Amino acid sequence: MTSGPYNYSYIFKYIIIGDMGVGKSCLLHQFTDKKFMADCPHTIGVEFGTRIIEVAGQKIKLQIWDTAGQERFRAVTRSYYRGAAGALMVYDITRRSTYNHLSSWLTDTRNLTNPSTVIFLIGNKSDLDGQRDVTYEEAKQFADENGLMFVEASAKTGQNVEEAFLETAKKIYQSIQDGRLDLNAAESGVQHKPASPGRPLAAPPAARDNCAC
Amino acid sequence: MEKLKEIEMKAVNWKSIREEGLDLEYAVPIPKNIANDIFKELENSLEYFTGDLSKIKVFGKVYPLPRQQVAYGDPGITYTYSGTTVPALPWPAPVLALRDFLVALRGIKYDFVLVNKYRNGNDHMGEHRDNEPELDPTAPIASLSFGQQRTFVLKHRDARKTGIDKRPIPPVKMPSLRIDQSDLKCKNGCDYFGNPQWQGYCSKCHREQMQRQRKAEKESSATLPKPEQKKPDRGLRIPSHSSFSKFEEKRLRQSETLKKANLLKFSVFKKSSTDDHDHSAEKRPPEFKIPGIVNEGMKREFRARFPQLGPAVDRDSRLFVHSFIMDVIKCANVLTVDELSERVQRQYQRFMKHMDTSSHFANVEADTKELLMDFVEKHAMTYLHELPSVVFSPSGTDDERLDRAMSERIQQLSWVGERHLDCKLHRDSPDCRQLLYKAISELLGMDSALSPGDKLCRVRRCCRHVLRLCAAPASADDLLPALIFTVLKANPPRLVSNINFVTRFCNAQRLMTGEGGYYFTNLCCAVSFIENLTAESLNMDKKEFDCYMAMPASIGGSAWAAALSLCGAAREAGELRAQAHALRTRTDHVHSRALLLAANAQSFEEQIAKKVHDVLAKTPLEIKPRRELPRLGNLKEVNTGPLIDLGTTSVQEELQTKPEVKPEPLAATLLPIPTESKEPNITIQPETEPKLNILGFEVIERQSPSKSPQNLDQTWDLKQTSSLELLTPSPLGFTPFDSRSIDELMTPDEFGTDQLAPGLSNINYDIDLSDFSGDNSIAEEAPKSEPKDPFSPEALRKITTFDPFAPQTSKGFETALDSFDEFSFVDPRKQETDPFEVVHRGQDPFSPVELSKDPFFNPEKQSTSILDDNDTPATACLLPSPIQPQSSKKPT
Repeated sequence: MTSGPYNYSYIFKYIIIGDMGVGKSCLLHQFTDKKFMADCPHTIGVEFGTRIIEVAGQKIKLQIWDTAGQERFRAVTRSYYRGAAGALMVYDITRRSTYNHLSSWLTDTRNLTNPSTVIFLIGNKSDLDGQRDVTYEEAKQFADENGLMFVEASAKTGQNVEEAFLETAKKIYQSIQDGRLDLNAAESGVQHKPASPGRPLAAPPAARDNCAC
Repeated sequence: MEKLKEIEMKAVNWKSIREEGLDLEYAVPIPKNIANDIFKELENSLEYFTGDLSKIKVFGKVYPLPRQQVAYGDPGITYTYSGTTVPALPWPAPVLALRDFLVALRGIKYDFVLVNKYRNGNDHMGEHRDNEPELDPTAPIASLSFGQQRTFVLKHRDARKTGIDKRPIPPVKMPSLRIDQSDLKCKNGCDYFGNPQWQGYCSKCHREQMQRQRKAEKESSATLPKPEQKKPDRGLRIPSHSSFSKFEEKRLRQSETLKKANLLKFSVFKKSSTDDHDHSAEKRPPEFKIPGIVNEGMKREFRARFPQLGPAVDRDSRLFVHSFIMDVIKCANVLTVDELSERVQRQYQRFMKHMDTSSHFANVEADTKELLMDFVEKHAMTYLHELPSVVFSPSGTDDERLDRAMSERIQQLSWVGERHLDCKLHRDSPDCRQLLYKAISELLGMDSALSPGDKLCRVRRCCRHVLRLCAAPASADDLLPALIFTVLKANPPRLVSNINFVTRFCNAQRLMTGEGGYYFTNLCCAVSFIENLTAESLNMDKKEFDCYMAMPASIGGSAWAAALSLCGAAREAGELRAQAHALRTRTDHVHSRALLLAANAQSFEEQIAKKVHDVLAKTPLEIKPRRELPRLGNLKEVNTGPLIDLGTTSVQEELQTKPEVKPEPLAATLLPIPTESKEPNITIQPETEPKLNILGFEVIERQSPSKSPQNLDQTWDLKQTSSLELLTPSPLGFTPFDSRSIDELMTPDEFGTDQLAPGLSNINYDIDLSDFSGDNSIAEEAPKSEPKDPFSPEALRKITTFDPFAPQTSKGFETALDSFDEFSFVDPRKQETDPFEVVHRGQDPFSPVELSKDPFFNPEKQSTSILDDNDTPATACLLPSPIQPQSSKKPT
């Protein structure tokens, strides 16, 4: 198989959750377009929230869904979670309220996704260190307590953004390798694309005999 | 009908069928001949419901009844079934006679009857229970059947149940009543009853047979290189009554091969039903057959979309769609919706796996596979979508009710504005209004899209507009409220049903990934937000919210509604403006072209003028041409002058001398499609050589040696009687008119190719008739005589009885005869072209007689000259027809 836009072995579905205004969409766009969104308006469109990455030699297409973070939509946004292999939980290091809400986001995520879903905590806006309201240590401790991966990132500068997405993908891939993730379940959030057409090559001549009468 | 009363009731041989919950008695009380009379009378006298009463409502959808129906009964009785209330019309005589017959037969006086007429093998009545509450439970239901044999199937209700309750009770079929049973068995020997409509097979075997046949056809047609587009307009657009479209299909096919048999099933005198068994009077089990259009549509689209893929892929996908649809339909009644949804998902996965493993798909790219998956899903679901209550708002779900509730709720929430939802929308901005308008129209279009994929596509387009509505940078935080707002303003029809349909039956993989899936998820969120909307979720005071909710729906939201309707109007205006603009440019174009043309014309004119001038200038011999011209002119005058004179005078003379002979002048005046110069020839000759004419006939005619009018008379009489014999003795009651046409049909075989006259005469005849009626000069008399079709039985009989050459005939006849003979005389002289026209026009009305005569009477005459057609008998025949009514009127 040569390289092409559809040349990948897996699709992973991610969701980005967190309060309104923590920069979920910016993170997404930083990752998919490698741009900060202020420069480029709406880009959710044609190449909708996807990017192909490579993990352990396997091409993986990441499909990332942005979610609405308003409190009042909390009750109705369950369908976003369905079939997510990875969840990026974002808070704003300059606003403590967004950090405080993390526990309820986490509860939702745990309740609404399957157990093997990888949850990654991201403290966004690390470029605004001067206005920091939540310390790294505090958040790190929270992450460790809940078994989350954690990084502070900046959608504006792009710092650690790639890492967050890639680490999540690696973890998911690891789960697949370990067999913890059932690929056949529709809810797994992972689609396997068997890209090797070598197997059935022996069949065509026989098949032709049957039909070409 | 009177004969009904004479039937001996006690002699009726009753038989009975007793099964669990079934108590049925049947007999043939009415002898076949009487039954046939009744059938005919019913056929002639009953009129069936039309309009809304000829439609049926099944789970909210309206279909045309697959049969004709009418109800009679005592005054005031109505009958309601499947949501249709049928009024009872007053009893017509034949039906009343049957009612009275039943009173005499069984002692029950029925007060209502539903008459079902099954026009052909496609008309039917589905399985049903006669358990309507208005029926008297103590009286049995009487069912009378007239016309063709049909099978009456009774099934136990428990046999139709699902799950544990289902009991394997075989259906009971009424045995054949009039014919020996073995005559009616399926030709396949499968122990079911066959039917002439199905070529003697039972419905199942016939269907299989048809399928095999169709497959063969399809395969043979598939080998043809050109794309078959038999009915392109039918295409994929499945009509809303598609559950009957298969009958449509079938009818189309059958009408080509089978004669429609007329069947009147005089069904079900209702008074009651014992509630513990199911009736079903139907000729085919409710099994589905996928109409060919699905297949055809797929083939076409496949060729258009995947030209690079081989026929094996095409066939595989079609096979899959076929088995998929069959599977869903089979399971639809048995499984719950969720189970069905799971099953459908498994089917999708199966196809995916098939694509991954099958050798047919070895060279297919992954993205193409995805497209194929969509393709397959689209076609299968498009078909299933239109079946009532199978996949779209399926029976057993609340979808329809929820649809209504949702619609009402959205209406009630029409006061919710952008500020309640914190959307950054600006009503004043025309761009914003436009985008919102577009988004709303896409959302409304979701309902009309048929497959989940198409619906998703609509949602995607809608959401893209909504995204553009949101101020940049766009994020889900903005998208969702804006989408909620859009949904509130759009109030899309059947929203819940649509969402459930997509959720259940769209390929799950796609719903969870991709743009469509994402936006659809957002839409689901929006809908569930609206469902659960409270004061809290709008960040407003509970009291205020309650006030708003208490407000009549019509008051709120007027600002946005107005803005949006403005938007619609603006869009319409824009379209109109564009149209007007286009028209204007076109007029301008036309105008400029017209000017150009005018200029061209003018320059052309000038050029011509110049050229003419040049030529005139170049040719100095002006005097010479002048000398020559007079000579030419003289010649012309010599040629034309006398001809014209003759023509006019002769016609006038004729008109004056023989005013009573209408047809002749008419023929003369009607013929003149040929130029004037011919007419005089025709008309002159009669006056100059009438005897020659007869002599001429003598010489040429050998078969019918008619030397004098008397001789003619005799031979004619003979011939007439013989032809009459040929015409009348039809045991089948054919009218002479029919026999005429038969005779006419024979002529091409009987006559040689050199005798084209009969063929020509047909054509000419038509022209003649129409002209006749339009002619002013004889309009007063001719139309009176003409309406009596010369071919009508009466006319023919009159012709045969009327003797045109009898002594009492008037002078008019003789003159007419003369003049006619002159026509015929023209024949030998001006062979082949003109005379043929002339003669045959006149002769035509009698060609039947002559044609019928010729083949039988003078078969060896075939090789003789064309003059056969000018045979005097024929001419004699010709003349009387228009005049005849005049003479025949006197005696009557």
